Amino acid sequence: MSRRCLLLFVLFPAGLQAQATGIVYGAVRDTTGHGVRSASVSITGSRLRTNTGSTGAYRLEVVPAGPITLEAAALGFQPESVAVNVTPNDSTRVDFTLRAVQNLAPIVVTAGKRQQSLQDVVTSVALMTDSAIARRAVNSIDEAVDRAPGVQFLNGQANIRGSTGYVQGLGSRVLLLVDGVPANQGDRGGINWDLLPADAVERVEVVKGAGSALYGSAALGGVVNLITRDVPDDAHARVRVIGGGFAGPPHDVWKFRDYTGIEGGVDVTASWGRDPFRGAVAAGTRHSDGYRQQDQRDHWQVAGKGQYRLDPVTRLDVSGAWASDQYEVPLSWCLRGRCDDRGQAYQPFMVDTSGLGDHTRSDKGYLTAVVSRDPSPTVSWLARASWLRTDFTDFQRAGNDFGKANRFGGELRGVIRSDPRQVVTVGGEVAFSDVTSDIFGVHTQAEYAAYGEGEHRLGAARLTTGARIDFLAVDGGGLTAVVSPRLGAVLAAGRGVWRASLGRGFRAPSLAERFVSTFVSGIRVIPDPSLRPEEAWTAEVGHARGFADDRVRVDAALFWTEARRLIEPVFIDTLAQIQFQNLARARLAGLDLSLSAASLMPRLSATFAYTFLYARELAHDTTPTRPLPFRPRHLLTLDADYALGAASVGAAFRYSSRFERVELYETDPRVAAKVVDLHAGWTRGPLAAHLLVSNALNYIYTLVPRTLAPVRKVTVAVTWTY
Amino acid sequence: MRLCVAALAALVVACNGGLGPAPAPTSCPKNFTGICGTVKIRGAIPDSTDVVYLVAYHTFPQSRGDLFNFVPFPPPTVSLADTTYFYTLPLPNGRYEWVLAVWKKQGPMLTIANADSLLREAGYYKRSDADTSRFGAGIVVVNSIGTDSIDFVVDFTNMHPVSFYFPAVTVRR
Repeated sequence: MSRRCLLLFVLFPAGLQAQATGIVYGAVRDTTGHGVRSASVSITGSRLRTNTGSTGAYRLEVVPAGPITLEAAALGFQPESVAVNVTPNDSTRVDFTLRAVQNLAPIVVTAGKRQQSLQDVVTSVALMTDSAIARRAVNSIDEAVDRAPGVQFLNGQANIRGSTGYVQGLGSRVLLLVDGVPANQGDRGGINWDLLPADAVERVEVVKGAGSALYGSAALGGVVNLITRDVPDDAHARVRVIGGGFAGPPHDVWKFRDYTGIEGGVDVTASWGRDPFRGAVAAGTRHSDGYRQQDQRDHWQVAGKGQYRLDPVTRLDVSGAWASDQYEVPLSWCLRGRCDDRGQAYQPFMVDTSGLGDHTRSDKGYLTAVVSRDPSPTVSWLARASWLRTDFTDFQRAGNDFGKANRFGGELRGVIRSDPRQVVTVGGEVAFSDVTSDIFGVHTQAEYAAYGEGEHRLGAARLTTGARIDFLAVDGGGLTAVVSPRLGAVLAAGRGVWRASLGRGFRAPSLAERFVSTFVSGIRVIPDPSLRPEEAWTAEVGHARGFADDRVRVDAALFWTEARRLIEPVFIDTLAQIQFQNLARARLAGLDLSLSAASLMPRLSATFAYTFLYARELAHDTTPTRPLPFRPRHLLTLDADYALGAASVGAAFRYSSRFERVELYETDPRVAAKVVDLHAGWTRGPLAAHLLVSNALNYIYTLVPRTLAPVRKVTVAVTWTY
Repeated sequence: MRLCVAALAALVVACNGGLGPAPAPTSCPKNFTGICGTVKIRGAIPDSTDVVYLVAYHTFPQSRGDLFNFVPFPPPTVSLADTTYFYTLPLPNGRYEWVLAVWKKQGPMLTIANADSLLREAGYYKRSDADTSRFGAGIVVVNSIGTDSIDFVVDFTNMHPVSFYFPAVTVRR
């Protein structure tokens, strides 16, 4: 070899190697001819692999010449492999057609922090797809989640199997995720359900029971994950206009205005996608007169999402949203003598005159960046950083209150499939929250965590074991450690699947609960910096089974939660003050039952869900065992839809039994909730119209004391999609 | 079709019975536990009035610190729209030595420290007009029903501050 050739060899070794390589390209499609996105294409016995793009196309370069075995795999499809002879310095086209796995259970991503089939999940998961959300014509995310089996909303506070109760927005025992990123407020620990427009959400996953083994604090009662829409190929636009009105009071003596309250809004979304870049922006506004006196609300929002494919196996996702609300505050309805009572003991549509003029401005937003990479068929990882900001000012006669809070988060997570029978998920997470407020003070809270969970397949069974350790520090003080283990098993038996799990959950006190200093009903609320995390153990046994060729699916679960050190507001007689204290031991046990029937009769589908809940505060000090407040014993939902071509009609019924106990106003009248919603839809080309009559019978009820639940509302939503 | 109509009719019937108008009571309601009665209002309502509460004490407070040992919490208020007001005061079973109306002045949030300037005793239940004891001898017993006719007078011309009952500042901590 001459000296010149040697120099070329040193400088351009790849070029010399290329002489013995070729290119393999093609597409992965399903049996209908549609491209399969994010399918893995790999060479058996080699680390060489890539993922398909949005059209299903793939390209592998520098493939060793000669015979190879090429394999394509995607979740929900049977993998395919093909023997190929790669020609040196040439391109070889190989297309795959993947067959979908029959009777495939939906794919979920929340229960195990990775993609898995719903039937492999050890806990109960409720799903709301975008088609279900659209069919029910709901206009906000909380309306969508409120219709999931076993879930109930109390004035914006989500309860999964009775977890949270109601504490005026403080201390949610449900963790909200947006695309897997925690989004509970940094100061109050509550949830801003209006952070995202309902139109932006592709599906909602609700994981029931303690989820702290993977998610840490706040996942004491469950996790709600809002998964936003992916950005499709090419240019698209979507305009959604909604308009509607509220029914007046059903009794003249309750009449409070001479006009019909209206609601209206518009959302515009535009997107463009072509690998390697795709992005979407959305903006919207909404106005509502509300259904009560002093109940107006104005809402504005912008949101954006961008994806950049750095290479075939690496993707960067950046998303963010900002929402601003100005709303009046009908905190308490009017009692006799506190407004124009017209001789009534209470006026549910009117507010107490002491609250007249009170209103709130609330701004919130988040920004998230996620890098995800699948470097090999056996390993994938992601890294994320997030920032959530909330900012509120309560304008009140008695003096304004304000709070500004941030929550910064970061996570590094890896999923390792060392062999087909084993999956291990490991990760570390940090979160830093701060608040500046006249009622919460100036404080910080840091959380550091490491977690790991392994799933091992043994014959027809899958066993899951995992744990997470969280370290919490408030205002830079000492660390408090909390360990949250979880054990689970899934056993496929015939057409059914059994599942069982035992896990521990916890919730760190919010900065608001620790440091609040304000007045409620004239009584001072004092801080308790020594508050400790709430803890709970949850056990569950469930069974899912299909009947009539899987046209009928039944899922039943028995659950049992033992909670201790629950944080509750306590009135201290001797000091005439209220303080949040670690107090109650509680037991929440019951049955979750859901039944769905699709195409049992032509064009008719129906779902039925029932939750029986035994919720008790256990005896402590001088307090005997008694019902936990704001928990219904029975919760029932019934939905039916009838589709005829481009049109569909449906109805939904929701029943929540009368609360056995409420806080503060025990003697106030309260009834069971019995709400009927009617909806209809019609689609023609790019246009779709949905009609929703919520609370069609104008049933008057209250869930939260002295707060009227929504009355009948008729809404029409028209969507144009390009 | 008949089945659907029947199901719909059943649903409509089942969904009846929500909250309805509730005229202000003129006697103790059924299934009510506590006390009821008429408050007669005398004198001009002070311009600085914030609210008038109704509260009860198991035993007469022994110090300013005991002033907040009242029931129920939060306390109901008295409507000042008319000169008479029929009240209902939900109370747990027990014996109550002092049932009274507390006038609260508009102003800052209430604390034990500023209670003397913001609160006034505006009237309390006496067994009879002849009762001239300092805080009345009207003991009320509640036993799982509504105890009616616990009538008294709110007199805005004869209100007493906290220091009237507790001259020395003995805040218990």
